[in-house]
Amino acid sequence: MSATPVIRAADLVLGYGGEPVCAPVSFTLRAGRALGLVGPNGSGKSTVLRAVLGLIEPAGGSLRVLGREVDEREQSFRAQVSSVLDDDAYFPALTVAEHLMLTARGHGLTHPDDVVAGLLEDFGLTDHASVLPVALSSGQRRRLLLAAGFARPRVLLVLDEPEQRLDQGMRAVLADRLRAETAAGGAILLATHDPELLEAVATDAVLVGDDKSVRLRVADAARAIRAEPAR
Amino acid sequence: MTSDLQVPSGREVRRFTTATARRRGDAGIGTLLGDVYYAFVTAAIGIGVALGVVNTMREALPPPPAVPVAGPDLSVPSLAALVALGFVGVLLSLAGRLGPVGVGGAEATWWLSLPVDRRGLLRPVAIRLPLLAGAVSAVLLALLDQGLPAQAHPLGRALKVAVLGGLGAATLVLLAGVGQSLGAVRRRIATAGNILIGLVPVLALVGALAGWRLETVPAPAPALLVVIAFVVVGAAVALDRRLVRIPARDLRDSGSVASQAVGAVVSLDSRELGRALTDGAAPTRRRRASRFGWVRSADTALVAADLAVLRRSPRHMVQVVGAACVPAVVVGVHQLARPGVLAPVLIVAGYVAMVATAEGARRAEMAPVLDRLLPLSAKRVRVLRMIVPGAVMVVWSLAAFASVARLQGDLAGWLVLGVLSAPVWAGAAVRSAYRPSPDWSGPLVSTPAGALPVGIGSVLARGPDVVVLGLVPMLVAVVLGFVTTPVLLAQVATSAIVLAVGAHIQAPRKVSG
Repeated sequence: MSATPVIRAADLVLGYGGEPVCAPVSFTLRAGRALGLVGPNGSGKSTVLRAVLGLIEPAGGSLRVLGREVDEREQSFRAQVSSVLDDDAYFPALTVAEHLMLTARGHGLTHPDDVVAGLLEDFGLTDHASVLPVALSSGQRRRLLLAAGFARPRVLLVLDEPEQRLDQGMRAVLADRLRAETAAGGAILLATHDPELLEAVATDAVLVGDDKSVRLRVADAARAIRAEPAR
Repeated sequence: MTSDLQVPSGREVRRFTTATARRRGDAGIGTLLGDVYYAFVTAAIGIGVALGVVNTMREALPPPPAVPVAGPDLSVPSLAALVALGFVGVLLSLAGRLGPVGVGGAEATWWLSLPVDRRGLLRPVAIRLPLLAGAVSAVLLALLDQGLPAQAHPLGRALKVAVLGGLGAATLVLLAGVGQSLGAVRRRIATAGNILIGLVPVLALVGALAGWRLETVPAPAPALLVVIAFVVVGAAVALDRRLVRIPARDLRDSGSVASQAVGAVVSLDSRELGRALTDGAAPTRRRRASRFGWVRSADTALVAADLAVLRRSPRHMVQVVGAACVPAVVVGVHQLARPGVLAPVLIVAGYVAMVATAEGARRAEMAPVLDRLLPLSAKRVRVLRMIVPGAVMVVWSLAAFASVARLQGDLAGWLVLGVLSAPVWAGAAVRSAYRPSPDWSGPLVSTPAGALPVGIGSVLARGPDVVVLGLVPMLVAVVLGFVTTPVLLAQVATSAIVLAVGAHIQAPRKVSG
């Protein structure tokens, strides 16, 4: 296991239009670990994820991913960092299996058919392999996106509320997969509102907030989620 | 968990996606040829009609004055040059709003995360917009040149002007793309274009007052065309090399705006097109929050909201000011300063200003929940939504009809007529903002321009229809050249009718059975 952290964020300031969306965030994520970001809606969790993926420019502090400044324009960065955000866009004429095949082939997998078949099975999409996205339910489309996150090699997996629109059974499957990911040496950064998923997967947690962002024990972070006020 | 894998090229990924989609597509070669035919016929009909109009206009124009006229004057060639400058502004503004390089939702999600060479992925989309801009500009500039009262317009000159327009527009869009790859904020490129557009009426007025005159628009020299051709090639190569430096966030943002705009154009929804082009260029945060201190009731809340929308949109404010200058510019061009030209100019300029005033109503039509937030009847909402457009159009009318009075005299009479006609614009603004969208789920009719929904004409005419009908008294006065009491009374009557039509709420259809 490399000594270089997969992510090192120090006093990271993030925002839009010059206005910060949350207090400065600091955390370190190492290989084989899973860090959960928690906090109420609008607290800035997704913004942190987007900064790690190079989709927004930090306004201050430092952020290094895989030992380097973040630059998603580098092919090597994209080869190592897999992400599932809240996108809901698909090629209308490509089937479920073809979307996964596109991802697998695009990353140069040598046996993409086997990988795609396995993912279809794991994510309960085998019966829908030849279905176009327009005919899928919103939960099935979410499963397709999650499967795509695993249909490729990766060092870091970034997930934004992966539990969204999933039933309890699929959340359990996802938790198993994520545990296997860290067991195999992969690193996971996820934002979540699901205390069970957090406790099942995360090894560390950070509470992202307006006033301060603090590191918490996972059990405390799960309690913080359960105590989130209804909005 | 990564190793040295044989990653395909961007081009291969793009081709894989296209080929897979094509295998499933039900569009055969016949459908493709049909679409090409419809596009060709539509373009040919459009160009033919435009050519007829410009030729008629050119022949109708009187010869330029033999001796300089007293007072402010701007020649037609000077005006044409300024229109061309305004067109450059439109191009820049659109290029900034649309990217110019961007990828739509599916491509952004499924392509941009791949570790492939992005140049191969993006090359077709990077070429598309410069080609489109070049083709449209070539036609428009040639038409504009054709409308000038020159001694003769040989084919060679028209071709040179078209080539200049095409190459120039392609260069601008390609350079905007290079700017995008260098980190230029797209909003700034769009703002530069907007400023250029706003400068056109100002330059026209200053030019008329200062006596700047361009007697003829010279045909572009072949050497100039060669130089621009080299610049196009250079810009294209530079953009191609820098495609990989455009960040994914920028590609996503641009692609999102472009997809929305294309969807609006295809579905003939001008309101959606306006939203697509405005929202992407608008700031996402305000320095100061309005406290709405003067709001005391639901009525004033609605008016205050409409006013805030207008005040926070500099583009719309500039649009109103620019449209107010247009009649003054036309009156300042000796060859154009006649009732037959002024009447349509007042309608077009007024419509441009009117569209800028009804953004609040258009937003509310898109999200009806906004109107339901306040305890007001639907009819009252529409009446209240006419206040801001009405007030703005009174100001526009005062400026526009002061120009008419400069040509015809009787300042007081024309200003009264202008104020009395302003309610027509207010009623039309609300009627057009609340018009239903074209119903593409219903039956379609075949036209030379392709299949269109039944009743599309009446849908698109909601708004313009009452403008034309409601302003008949004003148009009669402009054509006659004087204002009379019967005309003023007729204008009061038609304004009242248009206000009533604008506030009318169609009763929901009863479902039988």
